[in-house]
Amino acid sequence: MKLVLSDRNLDVFQEHHPTFDFIDLSKLQISNCVGCFGCWTKTPGKCVIRDDAVNVYPRIAASDRIMYVSKLQYGGYDTVMKTMLERSIPVQQAFIRLLHGETHHIQRNVVPKEAVIIGYGNTSSEEKQIFRHLVERNAKNMCFERYQVKFVAENEVEQAVRNEVAVWET
Amino acid sequence: MGNVMIINASPRAPKSNSKEYAKLFAQYCQLQTEYCEVKKSNHLELCHMMAGFSDVLFVFPLYADSIPVTLLNFLKTLEANLPQTKPTISVMINCGFIEPQQNDTAVAMLQLFCRKNGFPFGSAFKIGSGEAILTTPFRIFLKAKMKKFSTSIQNRKYGTFQVTMPISKRMFIAASSSYWENYGKKHGISKEEMSTMQIE
Ligand SMILES: Cc1cc2nc3c(=O)[nH]c(=O)nc-3n(C[C@H](O)[C@H](O)[C@H](O)COP(=O)(O)O)c2cc1C
Repeated sequence: MKLVLSDRNLDVFQEHHPTFDFIDLSKLQISNCVGCFGCWTKTPGKCVIRDDAVNVYPRIAASDRIMYVSKLQYGGYDTVMKTMLERSIPVQQAFIRLLHGETHHIQRNVVPKEAVIIGYGNTSSEEKQIFRHLVERNAKNMCFERYQVKFVAENEVEQAVRNEVAVWET
Repeated sequence: MGNVMIINASPRAPKSNSKEYAKLFAQYCQLQTEYCEVKKSNHLELCHMMAGFSDVLFVFPLYADSIPVTLLNFLKTLEANLPQTKPTISVMINCGFIEPQQNDTAVAMLQLFCRKNGFPFGSAFKIGSGEAILTTPFRIFLKAKMKKFSTSIQNRKYGTFQVTMPISKRMFIAASSSYWENYGKKHGISKEEMSTMQIE
């Protein structure tokens, strides 16, 4: 499955792309993770907060190609995307393993993926550098086998996503 | 003499490890401290309080390799409501994994926030194995570093500090497995159930 997870609506989502699943997080009700670890120790694999996030993290886990489209803030994802990423920890177990010499959680049924991260906004070079480091770290916890990070201005997001969709469709 | 506003930005602040770390800091720091927690409804109140302090210490957990949304949202409010006089901002970050360096990105984000908004940046304390270290004999190492960290803020000789359990990664994995197994047991959930590969 190919998934585009975006923090804003895009025209391309309204078009016919049968092999794609588009999720516009700005239309969903997703509250923030409260750090209760219920998804690891009470109802393993399921978040105890039963809002729209529970329909999103299984799709993240099932995708083999994923595109994250997010506004950037202080060198990280802005609130909408970051809230969803935090709510995605049910895809991992509490238990820890060694990965590339570092401790990380064991993943449940998460398909290893190729990811493209499109960060948009008025991003300084320092912010870009921090964001690249962040994605490098995310790659280990979010099962990215390969990834690319792209930075675009807010008015270039639509075109940037279209370009990637076209590449994935060929 | 300065004074320190301690701001706990854990999403579970009232029952957080950050709260325990903040308590220890207050215990070791000889400056006057005031402890606050970020709530959805008190952002402005905290922003207004800041002008009355020489130092602010943000205490928070690492969430998905960076700062938790609770802190992100607070920083956005702070950026829009900057205090007249800017205290020096320090951070104390704890993460679940054993490597304290996993907190580096979060430190860099706070440093960037400070540069962008004209706050001097103070000290950083990166705590690895933060979910468990306080409940183990290794808390003595944590306490020793906490003393150094709090002294650095007190004497305005800011620096970077880190601590974790002094054990091998394999031992950490074994210890964390029993920690989580016991956590599950309290809810009547077995290790096998916790290890399910199923999502939803
Ligand atoms: C949603 C979520 C994401 C987390 N992400 C990370 C992470 O990326 N790296 C890490 O080492 N620990 C991570 N942790 C573990 C916490 O940092 C750790 O449990 C910490 O001790 C919690 O501190 P607190 O009680 O002060 O909130 C995460 C925990 C939660 C709930």
